[in-house]
Amino acid sequence: MGVTTRRITYYVPPQPSDRDVGGVRHAYPQGSDNRGDAMKGREVRNQTAKAAVLVAAGALVLAACGTNKEESGGGGGQAACDTSKGTLIVGVIAPQSGSLSALGLGIKNSADLAVKQANEACKVKGYKLALQTEDDQATAQVGAQAATKLSSNPNVVGVIGTLNSSVAQSVQPVLAQKKIAQISPANTNPSLTQGTDYATSKKRPFETYFRVCTTDALQGPFGATYMVSKAGKKKIATISDGKTYGVGLVQEFTKQATKLGAAVVANETVGEKDTDFGGVIAKIRGAAPDAVYYGGEYPIAGPLSKQMKDAGLNVPLMGGDGIFDPKFIELGGADGDLATSVGAPTESLSSAKAFVDAYAAANYPEAFSAYGAFSYDSANALIGALATTMGDSGTWGEDKRADLLKNIGSYKATGATGEVAFDEYGDSTNKLLTVYQVSGKEWKPVETGKFEG
Amino acid sequence: MSPLEFTTVVVAFAVYVWLVSQAGKQATDRTVFARPAAVAGGVLTIVAALLPWATFVLNDGPYPAKSTLQFFDAPFELGGFRAHLALFGIVALVFTFVRIPGRNRAIRGLGWGVGVISLVNVLFIAINGGGIGAVTAAEGSTAFAGFLGLIAGVLLVAAGSAGGIEPIPQWPTKLPTAVAFLVLLLSFAGLLWVVAETLTSGGLGGPSSPYAGPEFLSYLGFLVGLLGALYGIGLLRWISTLSEQHRVFSMIVLLLCAVALPFTDAGTDYWMTVAVNIGVYAATAIGLNIVVGLAGLLDIGYVAFLGIGAFVAAQLSGAASAKLAGPIGEVPFIIVLVICAVVAGIFGAIVGSPTLRVRGDYLAIVTLAFGEIFRKSAQENIGGLTGGANAVPNIPPISLFDQPFNEPISAGGVVLPSGVLYYFLIVLLIAVVMLVFANLKDSRIGRAWMAIREDEDAARAMGIKTGKAKILAFLVGATLAGMAGAVFAHKTSTVAYDSFQFLESVTLLAAVVLGGMGTIPGAVLGASLLFVLPEKLREFNEYRLMMFGLALVLIMRFRPQGLVPDRVRRAEFAGETATGESIEQVQEKAVVEHEQELAEAETGPGPAAPAGGGEGRARP
Amino acid sequence: MSTLLEQLANGMVLGGTIALIAIGYTMVYGIIQLINFAHGEVFMIGAYGALFAFMWWLPSGMKEDWYVTLPLLLVIGIGVAVGVAVLMERFAYRPLRNAPRLAPLITALGVSVFLQEFVRVFYRCPSPSGGEPSACATSAIGFPEAFVKGGVHVSIGQGFTIPYAGILIIVVSLGLAVALQMYVGRSRMGRAMRATSADPDTARLMGVNPDRTIVITFVIGGALAGVAGVLYGVRYTSVNIDMGFLNGIFAFTAAVLGGIGSIKGAVVGGFAIGLIKTLAGQYMPGGTGYDLVWIFIVLIVVLVFRPQGFFGETERVRA
Repeated sequence: MGVTTRRITYYVPPQPSDRDVGGVRHAYPQGSDNRGDAMKGREVRNQTAKAAVLVAAGALVLAACGTNKEESGGGGGQAACDTSKGTLIVGVIAPQSGSLSALGLGIKNSADLAVKQANEACKVKGYKLALQTEDDQATAQVGAQAATKLSSNPNVVGVIGTLNSSVAQSVQPVLAQKKIAQISPANTNPSLTQGTDYATSKKRPFETYFRVCTTDALQGPFGATYMVSKAGKKKIATISDGKTYGVGLVQEFTKQATKLGAAVVANETVGEKDTDFGGVIAKIRGAAPDAVYYGGEYPIAGPLSKQMKDAGLNVPLMGGDGIFDPKFIELGGADGDLATSVGAPTESLSSAKAFVDAYAAANYPEAFSAYGAFSYDSANALIGALATTMGDSGTWGEDKRADLLKNIGSYKATGATGEVAFDEYGDSTNKLLTVYQVSGKEWKPVETGKFEG
Repeated sequence: MSPLEFTTVVVAFAVYVWLVSQAGKQATDRTVFARPAAVAGGVLTIVAALLPWATFVLNDGPYPAKSTLQFFDAPFELGGFRAHLALFGIVALVFTFVRIPGRNRAIRGLGWGVGVISLVNVLFIAINGGGIGAVTAAEGSTAFAGFLGLIAGVLLVAAGSAGGIEPIPQWPTKLPTAVAFLVLLLSFAGLLWVVAETLTSGGLGGPSSPYAGPEFLSYLGFLVGLLGALYGIGLLRWISTLSEQHRVFSMIVLLLCAVALPFTDAGTDYWMTVAVNIGVYAATAIGLNIVVGLAGLLDIGYVAFLGIGAFVAAQLSGAASAKLAGPIGEVPFIIVLVICAVVAGIFGAIVGSPTLRVRGDYLAIVTLAFGEIFRKSAQENIGGLTGGANAVPNIPPISLFDQPFNEPISAGGVVLPSGVLYYFLIVLLIAVVMLVFANLKDSRIGRAWMAIREDEDAARAMGIKTGKAKILAFLVGATLAGMAGAVFAHKTSTVAYDSFQFLESVTLLAAVVLGGMGTIPGAVLGASLLFVLPEKLREFNEYRLMMFGLALVLIMRFRPQGLVPDRVRRAEFAGETATGESIEQVQEKAVVEHEQELAEAETGPGPAAPAGGGEGRARP
Repeated sequence: MSTLLEQLANGMVLGGTIALIAIGYTMVYGIIQLINFAHGEVFMIGAYGALFAFMWWLPSGMKEDWYVTLPLLLVIGIGVAVGVAVLMERFAYRPLRNAPRLAPLITALGVSVFLQEFVRVFYRCPSPSGGEPSACATSAIGFPEAFVKGGVHVSIGQGFTIPYAGILIIVVSLGLAVALQMYVGRSRMGRAMRATSADPDTARLMGVNPDRTIVITFVIGGALAGVAGVLYGVRYTSVNIDMGFLNGIFAFTAAVLGGIGSIKGAVVGGFAIGLIKTLAGQYMPGGTGYDLVWIFIVLIVVLVFRPQGFFGETERVRA
């Protein structure tokens, strides 16, 4: 039967099948030339699909009757705050998708934590706070869009963000136009607060912009001073990842190091997605440096340090707060490697530990990453200033925005990253920096001090 | 939304779509079932609209459209998606009993709409409510309306298919000009209304409207049903035929509609910003459409031209870090626009020059290489022109007649949102670009491009100077992208290398492919979707790129001709003629007719002829 | 002098990985004329699959000795990579086999983005403190260094070390390439592949099942990518989800450089690209910041002036 079927079907004019209506498509080599097989194929497909439906139905039955209904009015058991005046919104602009989402999600979660804590503590009288996160997709044009969206809501009191300095450049003017406060946890480009000519004449371009992280102009030189004056390194090679943070850090480091009499013998760039650094290592080895300064973050710095040592280049690697992370050591950071970070060592800071514990307790699926603590401090600064602005009986309105900006400017508290306060440019006044060194698979503080430019 | 919830949504969606299409397939031409199923479906839809959807008030606040409403509480307070459902149910019933041509197709469309609306709302109530209990029964209250809606959707689609899908009815197209103009005016006004409604549906999201995502998706479901029904009864085809007949008038009305958008509900500074971004990308996509859609040269590094335009504009602007601004002084925007276009065009010709020797996939790789070279050079601050990692910040807004473009303006007592001038500028730019594109497409060079796309060797044999034509395609395309870049630079106020990554090129290509290669509305629609969807569906932020990748695969698999297909493309990709018939069928029909003619010629006109033709086909 | 030698060694190690990926590219292109953009992602997923098994399932006893761990990692990496490659062929490419040429290329771009994001969103690492697993693929993850530690020390000039894992990559890539060359040249399946590549319709008439042949091609390509992924992880001790795209582009360039369709060409091209990257970073103006640019310039020049590459037989006309 099978053989004859085959013969006969050969003469049956091709029937347009359900999904292949095209006359221009040829039979070759899609599927089989045998209709029997094709039918069988479809049956099998139907069977699979039926099985899938059954599984799905089963899942539905299992999930039946589940709800997360909360009793209205209650906020999870603790004493309810007075939120009769409505909801005020803390905006977040950070990448939530794509390759920078790890950092962006950390920023969002940490700000969320701050908002939740503020709600529990009834920080802003009469109002409930809520977080609204916008994805800037790590590009300037979408960032501007997100900023416009937040700025068109009168209940948005301020914005935490952004991650990328280039996105901040497009967000700043939009928020400034509506006098909405912006506190960045991560922008390190000095020109954002001090104008394009920050080196010669400082001029604050936007009254609404603040940041809690240090600029490259502080961290780079502080690292250089330690490296040259304390550690006695005279021939230093620099590597950057080509991004704003890394390039800026290396530039500022180089300036100070040369001023102190050290020679920067090589300046190389690695790709932001690279994992193989053999070429760069061989090249800087040619210049025989006695230390390497890396501008960038730990995902590259860790393997870079390891590959350096594997290739026999046994000199310490130093970086900024972007590499000050336990993951750096996990990824290959070796004993003797150095990092600078803002503030006094975290162990001596109970507020830092409190943040880490609270974050762990809140069970966010993502880690708080490099800028989580800064984001937490930014949100707290915004909320704290808001509480001061509103007092006990204030009502939110456009007229409060100027007060809010003033109060952020004069805000002072101890946060997860140390002292949080702002100078006349909106920069963090926390000029206290600490040098850490890896020893015994752990970051150990070696020196704390201030950099006075 | 957690990965698990996301997976649930995707799987549920796939399973339901599969179920409905299976129902339609199984029911095909079983005429007996048509009417009962349609009646049952219509009634169920109305009942679903009236019964409660959620068993309790969700934690984030009441679900929209009073979903916990009981029929007897307030039967006339239907709003939002429930009003849509009620409307669909009534229309379906009307179609069942009134002999309207094309009604089965329309009922099928309505069924899809009902199904999608129900599915979206069921899924989101269940997810936001923490489980199936939220849409079935919890703590003594019940809500089964969602599942009724799902069933109604299946029934309606089955009913439509069972009734027999008829060819789309042709409406009279030889109308007096005045009537045709009136119809067109009304339909474009309707289009404007739909666009404004789509943009504003669900609100802006955030804590003030926590269900923006589902409301928007549900609204899309409504559009699916509405457009399906209008398409089914032949109205959409009629309008498009009329607008083809009165092209110039349609263009003018469309332009007026675009200008009128800021006066609608969507006229906020936020939507103006989004619209300008869409416009920039749409203009670039139209440029890309010349290269890919018309000339068939795949370019996957195209965003570089947008970048070149943007960097040139940034350098010519009064920005503090702009190198060229000092010696030249401030340049009027019109001249900047021209310079950007020229510079980008030159680069376009350079990038296009390998087309003289490289073809097909290899060319795609060459363009990718050029795109990456551009990005890397911009990152390394080549020649000090791009600002490198620091970008070129603080580019001042365009200013014309002492009116900066980023400020709100008031015209005749109406205050228009800030950014509206940019919007008008980009609308104007797109109008010009469209004009260029439309004229080029039908010109000698346009036909040469299409000939090259279909078969380069044959084109050359016909005397087309293929090399020149191909470079010209790149040049013209890049020119358009360069102009878009000039607007981009001023509107975004900063130009950084990371705005021009490979993924942006893929996005542009996706806009062209999604909308339909070789058509203008396609490129605009594609760019709009790729910008509006992420804005609206914040719930899916984390999964944006994943869905984007998946969408590319699915489009190529199921609708390679895009949403608004070009006629020629439709023939190539889907095997359909311009009127939506399968080419195979048309060819068969032609063969049959030809055989009939032959038979007639042999035997003379008579009743034997059709039988002869039929026999010829049925020969084993 | 020692710098040049060191750069040559670095280039060879990188080149070995690229060669392994390039073979997959070249074979798939040879047989169905598809630039499988997502092939780089198969490489990435091979590494991530092996790492996943290592973190979640491997008992700690098996993590001690490299000669136990490495084969296990390789087997799992190959399995995962092959699975993904086959699924990709079945569900994304096969339905498009007769579609216009743009369609599969755009699909490949889509598959590439999808796979990368799929790993980013769904990949989970066990939490060290025993809590909820964390979404860890969002940044680089450490990869076990499952091979002899240390390396050969070359004491010329300043002296440098070539890690053993690097030598392993070079040896394995050359070995696999030779074995594959023999398989394709001598076995029945290899003949079927060449036949399908040359003329699918005639091959079909000669009793070759094109579907099966194409699947086998994807299996071989996937397996090599899996090997490359695991060895890459072992050598560089960290993986990130972007590594597939970048190395995929390198590999494609290598395949073109060597002459697409030729296994020998892919290997030679792979090593050439590895060397270009390191040597351009060392000696060309702009230094390491522009090494990618040089690779792309080479790519353009080759495509324009010698599209058949080193070992391509004749210039194929692709419309």
